[in-house]
Amino acid sequence: MKTERPGSLPMLVAAIFLLIFCLLPFGYMVLTSFARRPDYLRGNEGLTFTLENYHDILSAQSLHFLDYLRNSLVISGLSAACAVAIAALAAYALTRLSIPGKGAILFGVLAASLFPQVSLVSYLFKMMNALGWINTWPALILPYIGWVLPLSLWILVSYFAQIPLDLDRAALVDGCSRRQILMRVILPVAAPGIFSTFLLAFIFAFNEFLFALVLSVDHRARTIPVGIALFQGLHGQIPWGRIMAASVFTTLPVVALTLFFQRRIVQGLTRGAIKG
Amino acid sequence: MKPAQDSRTALLFLLPLLLTVLIFIAAPVAGTIVESFFRDVTFLPRRFLGVDNFRSLLADRSFHQSVRFTLLFTFASVPLEVALGLIFALVLNRPLPGRGLLRAAVLVPWAIPAAVSGRTFELIYNYSYGLANYLVLTLGVSEAPVNWLGSSYGAFASLVIADAWRTTPFVAIILLAGLSAIPDELYDQATIDGATGLQQFARVTLPLLKPVLTVALLFRTIDALRVFDVAYVITGGGPGGSTNALSLYGYQYFLSGDFGYGSAISVVLFALALILSIFYVRLSGFGRVLT
Repeated sequence: MKTERPGSLPMLVAAIFLLIFCLLPFGYMVLTSFARRPDYLRGNEGLTFTLENYHDILSAQSLHFLDYLRNSLVISGLSAACAVAIAALAAYALTRLSIPGKGAILFGVLAASLFPQVSLVSYLFKMMNALGWINTWPALILPYIGWVLPLSLWILVSYFAQIPLDLDRAALVDGCSRRQILMRVILPVAAPGIFSTFLLAFIFAFNEFLFALVLSVDHRARTIPVGIALFQGLHGQIPWGRIMAASVFTTLPVVALTLFFQRRIVQGLTRGAIKG
Repeated sequence: MKPAQDSRTALLFLLPLLLTVLIFIAAPVAGTIVESFFRDVTFLPRRFLGVDNFRSLLADRSFHQSVRFTLLFTFASVPLEVALGLIFALVLNRPLPGRGLLRAAVLVPWAIPAAVSGRTFELIYNYSYGLANYLVLTLGVSEAPVNWLGSSYGAFASLVIADAWRTTPFVAIILLAGLSAIPDELYDQATIDGATGLQQFARVTLPLLKPVLTVALLFRTIDALRVFDVAYVITGGGPGGSTNALSLYGYQYFLSGDFGYGSAISVVLFALALILSIFYVRLSGFGRVLT
């Protein structure tokens, strides 16, 4: 049985290595965010605890940290919601209705997610520039919907495929239209799956970097990953404390969300990758 | 049921998906391919060039360097991530004490935006006070601090490590799903037959994990080829262009207003991804698994 030697030495060593590997950089980020100086490991002063870095990023208007955070939350939230809605409609059609070329559509959409972002970005920039939307929320939301759609579709198709077709048949006999079936029968049953898909789509959009780098200019639309990546100090001194504080502040909600909904996320990720 | 009405509904339900993919993925990709045959530089008249952009790429030393880095990075980081991911998956599949904690820990690097963790790694690699050199000196691995980001080898290793940190969890989670799908009876039978742990791994675990391993390899390879975030943040392509990934190189041309040449670079990048994907799929009979 697999459970025969749960505590074998190599496994324990590997487990400890896993913990250190995964948590050390994160721990270092947290520690540095509370340090008065970033050179506490090698400097003369040692670690002095301070909340100054957090105070700075939350109160200094000129850093625009809260603007970036707001942009990120709105853009990721809206694009994830739209992507999930579009994917749910399509997943219903793909699992319930007879469509010629079903497989071709699924694979076409999957293939679309294989293109490197850099191959989309110049065209998207020209498109948004022509519309005069550069540095606005829609300039990011629309491409993000396309960006997270393949993933959302694959996960939802695998969820919907597991819902018994009898539910549809019964509702059809009762005289429901397809739209009513989707809204009143399938969505309530698939709610957990929809929710996991939304979470994953949200995290993917929240973490996106290249589109945001190109399609936003300043705090009006810039998202948090770009904000943190471009965070530079005056006079060439990198303000590590503030950067780490901003990183922790940004990361904590995502990490908390991930840990809280661990099962759902793992399920969603594996469904996206492994069919069924 | 009314099939005619059904197919109209189906079309209606699929329309938003098809439109979104068409406008925001297919059209940009097609546009980029067309663009790669043009001179399209800001303030200059647009002109059809045929394959001249690609011909220039052949002679472009920075482009060669960029292709070399991208391929080396992919072939260094993907096997490392899959090997580590497999070990992590095996650990997570055991009923060890604190398994919940382990499963939670493995998700942390995955959840942090790459650009954000990239910043942390930039600090980790800081020559005079970063964590990496602190560990290197404290553990006695080296007498002198390592110049992580200042040398081309150091920068390469730095990026591979930072990328492995960020993406190993994804591999581990996918492989874990594959592992838990292997029926316990197979291990019971193997134990009765007197197979050692290592033999069980080689004869039961690995063969049954092959389809999932292929998926992980495929996804990771495609992702590693288009590496951008970590390289942009940690090394910025340096030193001396030694870590200038293809995505980064294309982005630089795009930034300078040379859309045609930048597009040609992107086209090469997705041609590489396509070739490697087909290679994997052929090699593993993955197509059969999916159908």
